[in-house]
Amino acid sequence: METSTYQDVNQQVVERCKGGDNRAQYELYKLYSKAMFNVSMRITNDYAEAEDVLQEAFISAFKNLHSYKSEASFGSWLKKIVVNAAINAIRKRRAELVPMDERIAGEVADEPSDEEDAAWQVDKVRRAIQKLPDGYRVVLSLYLLDGYDHTEIGEILGVSESTSKSQYSRAKKKLLEIMREPQFAA
Amino acid sequence: MKDRLKDFVSEHRDEFDVYEPRPELWQEICQEISVEKERQETKVIRFSYGDNFSFSGNLAFMRVAAAILLLLGCGLTLWMTKQRTEEGTYSLAAATQPAIQKIAPELVEVEAYYTSQLKSKKEELSEYDMKVLGLDEKRDIDRELARLDSSYIQLKKQLLTAPNTDKVMNAMIQNLQIRIEVLNRQLEVLQKIETLQKQTTEEQLSNETNV
Repeated sequence: METSTYQDVNQQVVERCKGGDNRAQYELYKLYSKAMFNVSMRITNDYAEAEDVLQEAFISAFKNLHSYKSEASFGSWLKKIVVNAAINAIRKRRAELVPMDERIAGEVADEPSDEEDAAWQVDKVRRAIQKLPDGYRVVLSLYLLDGYDHTEIGEILGVSESTSKSQYSRAKKKLLEIMREPQFAA
Repeated sequence: MKDRLKDFVSEHRDEFDVYEPRPELWQEICQEISVEKERQETKVIRFSYGDNFSFSGNLAFMRVAAAILLLLGCGLTLWMTKQRTEEGTYSLAAATQPAIQKIAPELVEVEAYYTSQLKSKKEELSEYDMKVLGLDEKRDIDRELARLDSSYIQLKKQLLTAPNTDKVMNAMIQNLQIRIEVLNRQLEVLQKIETLQKQTTEEQLSNETNV
């Protein structure tokens, strides 16, 4: 499996990093900075802020490397740090996200039809996600792109699993609405 | 329930990561890390003196150090309490001194004067050799002086409590004067004996020459 060999290689690099090896630190940075920057970017939706988060996350990761036990992959450990830093950043920025109420929305109707996804393009979806309000965007990004399930998202955001689910449904609905807007297609 | 959006996204997952941080960002991170490291190193220097004496690392060393500290602490407290009790006894004696100075400030001067007088008289007396002069009275005088001395100490104690300090003071001065008087008398007696002895020897000498 690809990931297991990855992990083995990382393990050595991580060990060297623990010894304060600057080159090893750069190797890890090269390997993960782009993916982590996109994680940060999706949550903060702001280039400068995403960079600040990335910097803070890497520094904190190198500083607390001793607390990393190889149970999880280094990538997922680092990603948790980035996600938490990014969420702290937007919480500081805007005291209120779209309120994450516990009210379980009735099952949102499924996407209308199949004909639409023929029109889906990566770039369009990505831009539509960026148009979402913070609360929706965070949940949707974490679920769709960062591979967290609703339990994990609930833990990260400090809400219940069902809240994460309903928030995701609404976010998806809103996303499709945005994409249907005539001015968006342009 | 099928999530078509999720399927679409996971299919094109890689294409979604379109952003990249500025290349300079690594430089900035590097600087921060080195600053952080320096800060940590200064901390390390402050708290550990080499591997053997790292305080957190060496449990045995810590135990021994704690035991020594405890013993030192106990010893010091014991020594200090002892010291304090000794000080206490001294201070009792010392405390009377300023108290007397308050009650009778002139006493210090008076005492100094008389003690010097007594001293010089005693020296004069010691110049005479009692046995040669055929006198064994000195012991009686010494006894008398000792009695006066003890009554003087008692008077001094009374001075602290007595309401009429003038009376006590007068008694004390009298005591000192009596002592001087005693010594003076003794000296007179001795001088008389001396002159008598001289006269007798002179008479003997003149008698011898007359013969």
